[in-house]
Amino acid sequence: MSAIETGSAAPITTQPGTRRKRRLRDRDGMLGSAMLLPAVAYLIFFVGYPLVLAIMYAFSNVTVGSSKFDFVGLQTFSTAIHDPNFPGVVAHTFIITGISQAIVIVLCTVLAFVLAADFHGKWFVRFLVLMPWTTPVALGAIIWLWMLDSIFTPFDWFAQHLGILGPGGHLNMLGHAGLATGSVIAVQAWRTLPLATVIVLAGLSSIPRDIEEQSEVDGAGFWRRLFGIQLPMLAPIILVALLFGIVFTFSDMAVVFILTGGGPGDATQVLASWAFYKGINGGNLSVGAADALFMFPVLLGLAAVVLTMASRRRGD
Amino acid sequence: MAGVQRDSTKSGLILPRRNFLVGTGLFAAAATGLTACAGGTSAGSPSAAASSSGGGGSGPKAIKILLWSHFVPSYDTWFDKWAKAWGSKNGVSVTVDHINQADLPARTAAEFSAGAGHDLIEWITPPSAYEPSVHDMADVVSEAVKKFGAQIPFCKLSSYNPHTGKYYGFCHTWTPDPGDYRKSLWTGIGMPTGPSSWADLLTGGAEIKAKRGVRMGIGMSSEVDSNMAARALIWSYGGAVQDVNENVTLNSPETIQAVEYMANLFKQTMTAEVFSWTAASNNQGLVAGQLSYILNSISAYRSAQTGNPNVAKDIFFTPALKGPSGTAIASQHVVRSYIMPKWAANVDSCKQFLMDLVGAAHDSVDQSQLYDFPAFKNPTVTTTLDGWLKSDPYKSDPPDKLALLATSEKWSTNVGHPGPANPAIGEIFDTNILPTMMADVARGKSSAKSAVASATQQCETVFKKWRKQKLVGGTK
Repeated sequence: MSAIETGSAAPITTQPGTRRKRRLRDRDGMLGSAMLLPAVAYLIFFVGYPLVLAIMYAFSNVTVGSSKFDFVGLQTFSTAIHDPNFPGVVAHTFIITGISQAIVIVLCTVLAFVLAADFHGKWFVRFLVLMPWTTPVALGAIIWLWMLDSIFTPFDWFAQHLGILGPGGHLNMLGHAGLATGSVIAVQAWRTLPLATVIVLAGLSSIPRDIEEQSEVDGAGFWRRLFGIQLPMLAPIILVALLFGIVFTFSDMAVVFILTGGGPGDATQVLASWAFYKGINGGNLSVGAADALFMFPVLLGLAAVVLTMASRRRGD
Repeated sequence: MAGVQRDSTKSGLILPRRNFLVGTGLFAAAATGLTACAGGTSAGSPSAAASSSGGGGSGPKAIKILLWSHFVPSYDTWFDKWAKAWGSKNGVSVTVDHINQADLPARTAAEFSAGAGHDLIEWITPPSAYEPSVHDMADVVSEAVKKFGAQIPFCKLSSYNPHTGKYYGFCHTWTPDPGDYRKSLWTGIGMPTGPSSWADLLTGGAEIKAKRGVRMGIGMSSEVDSNMAARALIWSYGGAVQDVNENVTLNSPETIQAVEYMANLFKQTMTAEVFSWTAASNNQGLVAGQLSYILNSISAYRSAQTGNPNVAKDIFFTPALKGPSGTAIASQHVVRSYIMPKWAANVDSCKQFLMDLVGAAHDSVDQSQLYDFPAFKNPTVTTTLDGWLKSDPYKSDPPDKLALLATSEKWSTNVGHPGPANPAIGEIFDTNILPTMMADVARGKSSAKSAVASATQQCETVFKKWRKQKLVGGTK
C-alpha cells in the first residue's frame, strides 16, 4: 500500500483533478464493487427481472398473444389450484424430487469415498461419473427417451434374454405410471449425481488428514471413522449438495417434458412442466406463471432451511 | 489485500488495483464503442433498413420467415429455393428458419414476449391465441379467393375467428388424416379394405392381435396425433368439445360412450406404449411393421417407401371411420397457417409472398409428395392433384393407392368442429385435455363419466378465460 502511495505522490500534488480520480480508484471498496458488478448485473437481468415479470404475470390476465395487462388479483392462483390435475402435479413434483435426491445423496457419498481412494483407472471412473454433468439436460433426456422408446428400447432385448419378458414382449417403460415415474426419477438422479459427487469429494478432501490419522492411531475402524468423524464433518457439504440437487430437480421441466410429456395421463406431470404446458403451449401465460410461482416459496424455504442447518453445523 | 499490493510493487507481475480499474474501464469503453459500431453496421443491413423503411419504404426490404421442419424433407428443400428466388425477383431479402414443430409454441411465445422476431410465422395447428397481436389477413384471403378460388370452409375456421371477424392467420394448405392399415393383416381377418367403422376397428384389431400378435396404435399421449384421434372418435360418436355457437358441450352421453369405447379398444388391441408416444411414434411403429392400424397422414407411408419398402407395399388407407350413427368425421391432420405479428415491417411484401405461395401450390403440393393439399380450390391445382392421387408420381404400388384421399375434404374438419378453432379450442388442444381424459379411463384411473366431467370442468375454465378476453363467443 505504502509503495503505491509513494509512487503516485507527485502527480497528486500537481493535479487536483487527477488526485480526486486516484482517490476514487484507491478506495478499497472500488475493486470489490467492480468485480461484483457483472454478477449483480447477471442476477438482476437474468434472475430478478424474470422473477418480477413472473409475479406480475401471475396477478394478471396476460396471454401469449396479447400485451393487454389487467390486474386480476388472486384469480389466476385460484384457477391454478382448482384445476383437477393440480394436486397430482404438486405430489409428483415432491415425490420425484424427494426420491431422486435421496438416491443421489447415498450414491454421491459412496462415489466420493470411492473416488477419494487410490486405484488404477481412477481418472477414467471420474470421467465417467462426470459425463452426465457435461451433457445438456435436454440432450440427456433425448438420449434416455431413445433408450426407453416403446419399440426400439434395448431394455426389451435384455429383459427377453433374461427371461423377464417373453419373445416379442415389451416393457413399455414410459407407458406405465410406476415405471414412467421411476424412469424420471432415475434420469433426474443420473443428471444431478455428478455435481453432488464433486461437492462431497471436495468436502472429503478438506477433512484434515491429522484427524483421520489420530483416529486410526486410536484404533477406530472404517465404520467408526465413517460415522464418527467423516460423515459428521461432511454433513454441511452434503447439505449443500442436497440443496443444489433439490433446486435443480424441483425446478426442472426438460426431463419430464421430453421423456414422458407428463404421461401416462398426467402421472409424471410436475409443476415446471405443467406451467410450461399451460403457459406456453396453451397460451395461458398468467396461469402458467401462477403454476410456476408455487415452486418459489418451496425453493426459498428449502434454501433457507438447508443453509441455516449448514451454517449451524459449521458453528458446531 | 495490503499484502497483495505490496507483492505487486515488488514483482511487477501482478496488476495494481488502480491500473486494473483504468484498464477495465478502457476495455468497457472500447467494448461499448465496438457494440455501437456493430449497431451502426447492422443499421445498414437489409433487415434494419427494412425495419426503418416500413411497409411502403423505398430502401432494401427484408422478411424473415419461421416455419416447421416439414415431415417430408423435400418440401423444405423446395421452399427454401423458392423463397430465395421470390426474394431475388421482388427485391426482398428473404431469410427462412425451420424448427421442429414441437418447438414452435415456445419459440413463438418468446418472440411475442420480446415483441420482435420473424415477420411471418407458420403453425401447423390453429394459432388462434395470437389473434390480438397479429395483422388481420382478411385482405390477403379475399384476394386469394378472387384469384385462386374459394377457401375450404374448415381451413377458414382454422384461421378466422367468427366472433371477432378477424383472419388471424392465413391458411394455405391442409393435410388429410386417414387411417393407415396393413392390408395383409386385415385381409387375413376378412377385411381387405380395412375397417370402415369404429366397430370394425375394434373387432378386426382384436382379432389381428389375438391371431397374429400385431397390435394397433392410436395414441393417448401429449402429442398432436393423439389429439386428432380423440376428436375424430368423439365426433363420430356424436359428441364435441363445443357447439357451433362456442358453448362447451363435452359432457354428453355420446362423449362418455366414445371414451368407454376407447378404453375397450385399448384393452383389446393395444399396449401401454400408446400413453407415452411422441408424434413420430406411430409412424415408427407402422414403418417397423409392428402396428396393424394407425391414424395418420401419408407421412408414415412415405417414410416406409424409403425405409421399409415391403411394409410400404402393404400399407393402405381408409377414410374417417363411422360411429354408431353412421357419422364419419376426421380431424384435418395438419393445417398450415401463417401469422404476421404486428412488428412485421414489410407488411405488403409479406402479403405478396403469401399470395405468390398460394400461386405456387402446384409445386408445393408436388414437393410435399402429396402430403399438403391446397386450402384454396384452384381448379387447375385440384384437377392436377386428383390426377396425382389416381396415379401417384411417387411410385405407389398400386399407383392409385392414394385415390381415396380425393374425397378427404368431405370427411375432414377443423379441430373446433362444429365451431371454429378459437383460442379456447387451441388451449384445450395444446394442453392435451382430451388425450389425457382418454388415457385416464383406458388406464383404469377413473370412470368414463368422471373423466369426461373432469375434462369438461377444465374446458369450461379455459372457455371462460378466453371469453373474458372477448375472443370466444357463447355463454356456457
